[in-house]
Amino acid sequence: MFRRKRKASDFSAEIEAHIQHESERLREQGLSEEDARAAARRAFGNIMQAEERFYESGRQLWWDHLVQDLRFGLRMLERNAGFTVTVILTLALSIGANTAIFSIVNALILKSLPYSHPERMGTIYTQITGPVASDERHKLNGEQWELLRDSVPSLLSAVSSPRTSGINLQANSHVEYVHGGRISAQYFDVLAVQPVIGRNFSEDEDRPHGPKSTILSYRLWRNTFSSHPNILGQPILLKGEPFTVIGVLPEGATTPLNADLYTALQPSREGEGSGTNFESVTRLRDGATWQQADAEINHAWSLRAHRYELKDHPGAQVTYHSVQLQKGQTDSLRPQVLALMLAAGFILLIASANLAGLTLVRMLRRTSEVATRLALGASRWQIQKQFWVENLLLALVGGAVGIGVGFLALRCFLLLLPEHFLPVTGVPLDGRVMGFTLAVSLFTSILFGMLPALAARNVDLRSSMTSHAVAGSGSQRLRQGLIAGEVALTVVLLAASGLLIRTLVHLETLPPGFNSNGVMTGKASLDDRRFHDPEVFRKLLDESIAAMRQIPGVQNAAVGMSLPYERTLNDGVILSDGKEAGQQDQTDVVYVTPGYFGTLQMPLSAGRVLTEADGPSAQRVVVVNEAFARKFYGGTNPVGRYINKDTLIVGEVADVSVSSGLYEGAPLVSEQTMYIPAAQVNPQSLALLHVWFQPSWIVRAAGSVDGLTAQMQRALASVDPNLPFSGFYRMRDLLAKTLATQRVEVALLSAMAALALLLSAVGIFALVSNMVAQRTREIGIRMALGSTVRQAMVQIGRSGAGASVLGLFLGLALCVGALRVMRSVLYGVSVYDVPTIVTVILTLASVTLIATAVPTLRIARIDPAKTLRDE
Amino acid sequence: MSTQEAKERLDLLQGTLDLLILRTLIFGSQHGQGIARAIQQTSDEEFLVEHGALYPALQRLEERGSISAKWGISSNNRKARFYTLTAAGRKQLVKETAKWKRLAAAIGRILDPARED
Repeated sequence: MFRRKRKASDFSAEIEAHIQHESERLREQGLSEEDARAAARRAFGNIMQAEERFYESGRQLWWDHLVQDLRFGLRMLERNAGFTVTVILTLALSIGANTAIFSIVNALILKSLPYSHPERMGTIYTQITGPVASDERHKLNGEQWELLRDSVPSLLSAVSSPRTSGINLQANSHVEYVHGGRISAQYFDVLAVQPVIGRNFSEDEDRPHGPKSTILSYRLWRNTFSSHPNILGQPILLKGEPFTVIGVLPEGATTPLNADLYTALQPSREGEGSGTNFESVTRLRDGATWQQADAEINHAWSLRAHRYELKDHPGAQVTYHSVQLQKGQTDSLRPQVLALMLAAGFILLIASANLAGLTLVRMLRRTSEVATRLALGASRWQIQKQFWVENLLLALVGGAVGIGVGFLALRCFLLLLPEHFLPVTGVPLDGRVMGFTLAVSLFTSILFGMLPALAARNVDLRSSMTSHAVAGSGSQRLRQGLIAGEVALTVVLLAASGLLIRTLVHLETLPPGFNSNGVMTGKASLDDRRFHDPEVFRKLLDESIAAMRQIPGVQNAAVGMSLPYERTLNDGVILSDGKEAGQQDQTDVVYVTPGYFGTLQMPLSAGRVLTEADGPSAQRVVVVNEAFARKFYGGTNPVGRYINKDTLIVGEVADVSVSSGLYEGAPLVSEQTMYIPAAQVNPQSLALLHVWFQPSWIVRAAGSVDGLTAQMQRALASVDPNLPFSGFYRMRDLLAKTLATQRVEVALLSAMAALALLLSAVGIFALVSNMVAQRTREIGIRMALGSTVRQAMVQIGRSGAGASVLGLFLGLALCVGALRVMRSVLYGVSVYDVPTIVTVILTLASVTLIATAVPTLRIARIDPAKTLRDE
Repeated sequence: MSTQEAKERLDLLQGTLDLLILRTLIFGSQHGQGIARAIQQTSDEEFLVEHGALYPALQRLEERGSISAKWGISSNNRKARFYTLTAAGRKQLVKETAKWKRLAAAIGRILDPARED
């Protein structure tokens, strides 16, 4: 479009041809050669004007100028390779950080869910106003689900299990451990996902005790069943019984559960449905509005006889409202992600401050060049344009490299995450991210280009051409101000990441309440028809534990429904004697084999641990933890007390850290817990417990646990060849899994704080070394007059150190206000944490010292005699 | 001289000159000098086309696609750039001619109302 179609020389040749033709004609009419040519020219008019008009008519004039500016800019940047590389690296790192973080924001918050009409999809929030206000996604109980399904005609609704559970799939000759999602009928209708072959669950299949059927994910169908075309109607052995395959999902189809296969949830008001265990998804029907739907939900749900929300929050107002599914799925991650985006913005500001300082110096160095160009007739606009073109060039190259850096950073970040950590299937670098990066690059170029451009306006022709003096004290102060600003932001980032690190250290060093060394654990799914029989279940535990005790080096073995650091079952408990009689509350519940306490080496503080004698027909007993005694018995000895009518507390053990289940709050807590003998688990609830929990086999070895896993698998297989372990974990793996969010936060924020520190150090270094370069003559003269090297170093270094100290104070002042928002993510450390502040100050002081000292060392090499000669 | 004025004069000429060029080329391809000559002769020397103004007009018409150009050899054995009417140019000529005739008729009626029937 901008290419000139015709060259100016071609146009001139045509004009020349015209003159020749015309003069020839005139000559034929009898004029002399000379006169003919003159007359032809006269008739033509102004040749130059015609040529100029031709040139300008091309509209390419501005383009030609731009190309000229670009060429010149490239030459200038090439000549200043050091400057160019510094700027592009700074830009690449800061823009890369922003690209990576923004792509996460994009994937979580901006990108639509991968379903048809995602804006018509929702979930239901429960808003509680009163002393303890909240507004969040609640799970539903069976009654709520039935009312939602039957009395809210504006919505097409479905429920599912909150997460997938591990189940055993017998395929061909071996057993595979897969992730099963349990969903109600119409779940896929709400998602607008239709099976590629077969159909969705029918109402009949979704009824309790309905026919057992399953829908496979495309991946499972392809990998395990080799894309068998006649899979429909075939029974597959799942959880120890045949399930009929009724459908296969399309390739690439995702669901919020992202399971390998789906079975019918079969929800009711009994069992699972007596508690809030169902996750809802809804789709607005055609013609209905969200207001209608919300009114219908509120009407239907407020007529319930037993509203658990009111029981938990006496006197509170409880209402319900629909929220977009995307928001509902990412709400818990939003504050963190937005805080990271803010931190990335800080990085950009810090980088811009650095670049503004660098370009300002460069600009001042070019004062004489500017003056010369002005003297030769360049307009101020042309000079300005030249600078902007150079800045733009830098920003675009930096942005392009930044995309690469961002891509790499994002890959590393995603590798760091545990599986299924983000509620999205992928974090793409899509058009929106590219657009964002481009906008950020342009914005940065304006940000750092503004100062030098303003400085260029004040170039005085006469003075700059004659004098050598370059930077005035004004620009010096400006640069110091920039450095102070970026140091202040760095301080905030350092302090924030320091607090997060302290939180993580606090959580990781909490007294575990057991000995985690020398322990290996393996999980297996007992969600299997065979183990619904308590006798088979007990036999499996007894024999497998006995087999594992035979492994050489193993000292002890046990099974527990959940382990320390993990989420536990929450259940109601009723105190049955003394002054607490009749009191009801919630507690963590774990079924364990008698060896559990010994294997984990949990200290016993009162009474006894469980024994083999606590069998199915013996007195029902439990062991509680100290938190239980504190919570319900005011810290007095609970041994000998009765709960749940006839259950005797026989022992008290130390608290262990578990993943919080009962209360919102810290990721690791010590909650009231009761340990019940595996042999005494209520046979009716055994099946459901194993839908929710995959129990763990625990062995304690004297030496290394490295080679144990294969032997554990063999030991289990010797008892039940069709029971695979789904995975083996050391206790520290479980701790890491529970603290994944904190770890990710620490990693990201620390990386950004380190980047900020690096950029600030570069900024201080550049400021000081530039001053050394500028004032070499002055220093030489001073030294000739008797000043020592040290005095000169201190004098020059003071500028960098001063700016840094000012920034430090500014930053600490900012921290007072800014860090308060972090309160909700800090545990075991207060917002104004002295060790953190001291560390930040010391870190900044040492970095400042290095960044100031290194360039001033050059002063020692200044030879006063030489400088004086140059004068 | 005032550039403003020069520009106005050109603008006034533009439409007319374009029309005359297209009209001239209807008899076959021609080079710039030939076009200038032809316009002068067929208008009984009424128009004095400044030859220099012709070329930007030719350039404009070429860019618009109304005419196409090719270097060739003229009748007196010289190199010259020959212009040919394109299909689009032909259409434009028909349209412009109609427009011009309406304009001329309208102006004629205004200037000489007595002649109206």
